[in-house]
Amino acid sequence: MKRSKQVFIHHKSLWATNSVFLGEGEVKMLYEIGRICVKLAGRDAGKKCVIVDVLDDVYVLIDGETRRRKCNVAHLEPLTTSLPLKKNASHDAVVKEFDAINIKILSSTPKKATAKPVAKRTMSKQKKSKSKSVSLKKKSTEKAVKTVQA
Amino acid sequence: MPRGMFRSKTLRRVTKRVPGGTTVKRYEQRKPRVAHCAITGEPLHGIPRKLPSDVAKLSKTKRRPQRPYGGVLGSKASRQVIKEEARETQ
Repeated sequence: MKRSKQVFIHHKSLWATNSVFLGEGEVKMLYEIGRICVKLAGRDAGKKCVIVDVLDDVYVLIDGETRRRKCNVAHLEPLTTSLPLKKNASHDAVVKEFDAINIKILSSTPKKATAKPVAKRTMSKQKKSKSKSVSLKKKSTEKAVKTVQA
Repeated sequence: MPRGMFRSKTLRRVTKRVPGGTTVKRYEQRKPRVAHCAITGEPLHGIPRKLPSDVAKLSKTKRRPQRPYGGVLGSKASRQVIKEEARETQ
């Protein structure tokens, strides 16, 4: 998406707005809808995102590998590529556009809570072991009686 | 005279008030120093100053900030590093 304006802008206003002066009166907006950026701050830092909506001079709405939320422009590093997106595009549309550039966005689904695994008891084995121990005890008492008698 | 193992300066001397009313000297292990950023040298936030045995009992999220280079670099330095990485890959 290319947007060019043949406008002369005083150099001081360039620092106030988020625009780039490309020479010969051409101005390109830096933080525009569709611009791919890298997030610098927060737990999403280092991840790629796309600007989905411009809220004002300071805040933009981002989506992509990061969570869909508003972000301060100072916490974004814009890249040269931009995607053809409409304003307030849905998350699915953003994922499609990222696929076209070979950036896969993994969607995480929360795990369903399952019942706690209960340890199964094997009653047959326990019964066998009990019978064995009883028989051994009997034998030992018999032996003791025999020795005493002797 | 305290016994040899308590004369070491690696132990902190702490005065304690006991239920009997007397004050008693006790010995405590010294806590480690505050972690510093590997690039700027600024003290890092979000990292508790505890003995390794106490840190091992904390959950992973309570040991360091949950972001790239958390616990190694401060926020300023990590932002700069991420910026440079993004510009290199372009």
